[in-house]
Amino acid sequence: MGVAKRILVAEDDPVTRRFVVSLLEERGYEVLVAENGEHALEAATLARPDLIVSDLVMPYRDGYEVLRAIRNDDRVKHTPVLILSMRDHEEDIVRGFEQGADDYVVKPFNAREFVSRVRKLLDPRRA
Amino acid sequence: MQKALVATVLTIALVFLLLTLLIVLGKAWRELRDGRRRARRRVLEPLVLKYAHGSSPSILSALGGGVGAGDRVVVETILLDHVSRVRGVEHERLCRALDELGYVDRFLDALSGPRWWRRAEAAENLGLAGSKRSAKALAEALSDPVSEVRLRAAKALGLVGGRAAVLPLVNALAEPNRWSTIRIADILTNMGREVVAELMDAFPKLNAHAKLAAVDILGRIHSLDAVPWLMSRLSDTEADVRARAAHALGAIGVVDAAPQLRRALNDAEWPVRAMAAKALGRIHDAEAIPELCAALRDREWWVRANAAEALKLAGPMGIDALEGMLADADLYAKHQACLMLEDAGILDRHVAQLAGSGAVRTTAEAVVTRFIQAGQVSRLRELAATHSELSVRSELDRLLGPPVPAPEAP
Repeated sequence: MGVAKRILVAEDDPVTRRFVVSLLEERGYEVLVAENGEHALEAATLARPDLIVSDLVMPYRDGYEVLRAIRNDDRVKHTPVLILSMRDHEEDIVRGFEQGADDYVVKPFNAREFVSRVRKLLDPRRA
Repeated sequence: MQKALVATVLTIALVFLLLTLLIVLGKAWRELRDGRRRARRRVLEPLVLKYAHGSSPSILSALGGGVGAGDRVVVETILLDHVSRVRGVEHERLCRALDELGYVDRFLDALSGPRWWRRAEAAENLGLAGSKRSAKALAEALSDPVSEVRLRAAKALGLVGGRAAVLPLVNALAEPNRWSTIRIADILTNMGREVVAELMDAFPKLNAHAKLAAVDILGRIHSLDAVPWLMSRLSDTEADVRARAAHALGAIGVVDAAPQLRRALNDAEWPVRAMAAKALGRIHDAEAIPELCAALRDREWWVRANAAEALKLAGPMGIDALEGMLADADLYAKHQACLMLEDAGILDRHVAQLAGSGAVRTTAEAVVTRFIQAGQVSRLRELAATHSELSVRSELDRLLGPPVPAPEAP
């Protein structure tokens, strides 16, 4: 088995964060966590994850800001980003994709579907 | 006397001291308890989540065979926290765990307890636990004397789902004095397709208020299963039901309903005609253009407005029809066509074409002239003053002529 893919989970709600971390670790991924948008950006540039899972509503910097900053940073601009948010309005989802998100999952979410989307983003050829 | 005073002061001081001690001890006990619970949560939560992500048939093995008395609250909190955040298989497994560990039974007991806030909490938890067997108890809780309990029980029934949950909610629709119809309608709508058959079956027994809500809900659910039934409601004896049915068919976008909706444009009641026009717009029915043009002459403003909107939504043929209506003998129809063409930006487009030549310019001038003849000149005067092209401003000035001076005050 090769090196585990690294996923950064930026989520301010501790219960959801623990659920997502546990779900991804169970599938063999290396998971880093950030509790707010500021930490998410720091972690993204320092740890260079293979995928970023980000909430939209977070303290200090919201998910859209994080997304914009990532897409404007040459070091991480190609990192796939999956938005995991309670916001289910069409305009939020469209805005997410317009700002550069690669996928969007609405909470409460289906865990197995979420994992499939993560797999697809990490290895588009396999999906 | 002095002794009595000293004794009183000492007694008061002692009481205060005891109270302070009690508060401090209480707080310390709560801190200790919460600290212990946090520590236990750190241990137990990974085990619960491992069970949720896995395939083990029972949570008991994941928790080492059972839950100790000291951990019952911790495990309950973990399960309830996570069950509300996920859907799918994980959600079902967490719900099953709540039942298997006896929490559902405990919630059911609390639902008939003496304290209303405990009953309300129990109702909410039963909804989160998604326990089908709690539907009967939750349905009974819809008659609770406290409205908060009733509301949480209704929401819980919406989460539990199934026939046993749908029927009491449908019946609640018929009691607008006890329930907010909007809330119950939202709950039923969120339940989706499973309520369709129940709503249609219950319809004849519902009162007038609930019948309208039921038709609205079916439109909001967008279920194709309800389409034939909704089409038959277009000939209901109640005008409001016919109107809501037309609205629902438009919301679902049922193209097959177009012939009946076109007939409904001639209904004796104006709300039905208005909703039929709106629905025909939503399904972009180009064949309805002649009937919609006729509806522009309706004596009710709402019908005319919806018919104009529907013509706009019918595409280029609808816009052509609206332009044709500018020459209509009916003043109301003419004005409604003007308003819609202006609103849709068609007037601005024709005004810009005044700078061109040939057939396009001729058509543009004809449309602008009809607006002027209809007396709808405010937008034209605005464009005559502000348009970016000088030739357009000059043409508009020529067509509009000198502004009519305001009548002098007597």
